Amino acid sequence: MALSLEGVEVLLHGKALLRTFSLTVEAGDIVTLMGPSGSGKSSLLAYVAGDLEPPLLGHGIIRLGGSILNEVAAGRRRIGRLFQDDLLFPHLTAGENLLFGIPRGPRQERLAKMRDGLAQAGLAGFEDRAPHTLSGGERARISLFRSLLAHPNAMLLDEPFSKLDSELRQTMREYVFAHLRQRLIPSLLVTHDVADAPPGGQILAITRDGEVRHA
Amino acid sequence: MAPALRALTPLAGAAPVTVLWALPLVTGLVAALAVVADGPAWTALLAHPQVWPALALSLWTGTIAMLVSLVSALLVLMALHGRGRVTGYAGWAMAIPHLAFAIGFGFLIMPSGLIARLFYNTPPDWVTVSDPCGLALIACLVLKETPFLIWIGSALLMRGDTADVFAGQWRSALSLGHGSGSIWLRVLLPQLLPRLAWPIIAVWVYGATVVDMALVLGPTEPPTLAVLVWSDLNDAQLLANSRGAAGALFLTLALSIVGTAAYLLLRFGRRMIRRILTRGPSDRNAPRLPGLVLLVLFAAIYAVVILLLGLLSVAGHWPFPRIIPEVFSVKAMARAVEDFRPFATSLGLGASTAITALALAVLWLEGVAARFDRMVIGACVAALGLPAILIAAGQYRIFLEAGLSGTLVGLFLVHLTACFAYVFIVLQAPYRAFDPRLRSAALGLNSNPWRFWLKVKASLLRAPLAQAGAIGFAVSMAQFVAAQLIAAGRHSTLPIEAVTLSSGGNRSLTAAYALALALPPALVFAAASLAGRPRWR
Repeated sequence: MALSLEGVEVLLHGKALLRTFSLTVEAGDIVTLMGPSGSGKSSLLAYVAGDLEPPLLGHGIIRLGGSILNEVAAGRRRIGRLFQDDLLFPHLTAGENLLFGIPRGPRQERLAKMRDGLAQAGLAGFEDRAPHTLSGGERARISLFRSLLAHPNAMLLDEPFSKLDSELRQTMREYVFAHLRQRLIPSLLVTHDVADAPPGGQILAITRDGEVRHA
Repeated sequence: MAPALRALTPLAGAAPVTVLWALPLVTGLVAALAVVADGPAWTALLAHPQVWPALALSLWTGTIAMLVSLVSALLVLMALHGRGRVTGYAGWAMAIPHLAFAIGFGFLIMPSGLIARLFYNTPPDWVTVSDPCGLALIACLVLKETPFLIWIGSALLMRGDTADVFAGQWRSALSLGHGSGSIWLRVLLPQLLPRLAWPIIAVWVYGATVVDMALVLGPTEPPTLAVLVWSDLNDAQLLANSRGAAGALFLTLALSIVGTAAYLLLRFGRRMIRRILTRGPSDRNAPRLPGLVLLVLFAAIYAVVILLLGLLSVAGHWPFPRIIPEVFSVKAMARAVEDFRPFATSLGLGASTAITALALAVLWLEGVAARFDRMVIGACVAALGLPAILIAAGQYRIFLEAGLSGTLVGLFLVHLTACFAYVFIVLQAPYRAFDPRLRSAALGLNSNPWRFWLKVKASLLRAPLAQAGAIGFAVSMAQFVAAQLIAAGRHSTLPIEAVTLSSGGNRSLTAAYALALALPPALVFAAASLAGRPRWR
């Protein structure tokens, strides 16, 4: 399944922040969009996810597989997101955070998926741990698997490595990219650090006047 | 910081709070608890035929009012989520004293009231006020307590340190397939409700123990237990008086037992609650319409109640079913002005206690280390969370012994009890959050601590200082139970007069007093809003 943006632009107070461009991210590909702070990278992701709020405004077609998502509510788009912060819910345990995103079904099956997810994250037995007792790396892995277990059809990565220390950062990059590729999820990564881009992946850059070009 | 540069010693900060506020509160509580050993008082209380039905009525009105207020507040918060602050509007509704509102609300719903005038030619055979189920009292409590919960809830959701976190969690939950209804249920409410626990408890205790509103709108045969207790406490007979003190403690114990049972029920239901929280994504959206309808309804009722009080206070002849008076008259206003003592006493007590409470709070916050704030906050929570009638019953006994009953000093001290508690709770967090580096910078520029406080700190903290003062003034003006007991008939305040008049037939005079009770806090709130605006913007 591919994620396509056709003639997409982002406006701030009616003025173009990100000029019209088109892009297709194939299944399992990770496209990097680079640009300085305030260039509209995160706003583009919000537009694709369906929660862009005024005074920002987006135009253009968002297509996922064969479906156009523009009229689909944010909660129904099945587009996962990773943010700068792990945004684990503090009132839920690590296991419950994973259950939060696992689609409804028989409880035992969901519990099995949750435990399997924890094991894949290298956190087997962490089910009842409160988020504040986890390290930064553990939290980041829980956050990733929370998104993956929700079975997203595409992923938007909003500078997810920027708050990690340099050692953990490299490990998490490889870890996240490997899991996204393995699941054939088309992903769009925004960052202002070229080191965050996956090796060999397509890189786009936002110019000062809001144009999106191949880097 | 070198001790020599300190403006205040810890003793100078703590002593005034201890003597003027904590001492009357703690000794009052001790006296209230001491009644536990008074055997004859308990025998008389438990033999009273109305005690159990009155207790049931108190628990019913308090619990239903709390639950409906909470649901209403949450619906309004859901409806307005992401659409700006509502704290300002809720604050205005809170500025109207409960008693004044209850009097106006009574005029609205009584058989000869405004609503009946819209639909009938003769007053209908309704029991809308003082109904045996306490529905009028519940409705009025809901109207008054919902804005308070909206105010607190909105402030928690919009607070600088949590607003961004909640917004991030919202986006994250959306990306996991949850709709806004599911996000409210599974993400926001589980984090919001524990932080609202104390305000919810305060609303519940207030509803179950309120006296002045219950005297105006509540049932009479039997009345609520708080009214029964209040009536006993006003009895000159020693045994009846002791029975009243025992009744206040009995009501408190009953609330503690029910509260503990509710807490345990929630603990036992925790597993089920967690299952609901982790049931997985649901794209159901939060309802907006009920909250918006409630908001409009509340605003309309508040506007009509104020308007009605205004009209009634200048009504001469107002026969049924006319919507406006046939003849206007300033007679009631003139009579209210003629005996200005209750007004002057209330204004004087309101202003003096608010100023004193502010001064005490600032002295503590300047002189005492922040780690000791917990002690004061705990005592404030006790002062506001425990039934006012329990504290008043204890203070009444102590003040009688100390010769303070019937004196202005006694009245001042009992008004200060609730006033300081509110002022300190409102002021503490913003005051402690003040950047201490500014003090170091100012002192480094050859400023002295007093000059720094006046020129920099008080100026930057103008908004919370003004807000705390206004709330203190409004709370003080509204005191009824303790004021009435300690005044001992030698002094009168606006709430005392308004309650007395509400049981009589002179509606215009009652409305005039209710307005006199409502207007000063509203004006002080308006002044505080203006004074709190930063000058540099």
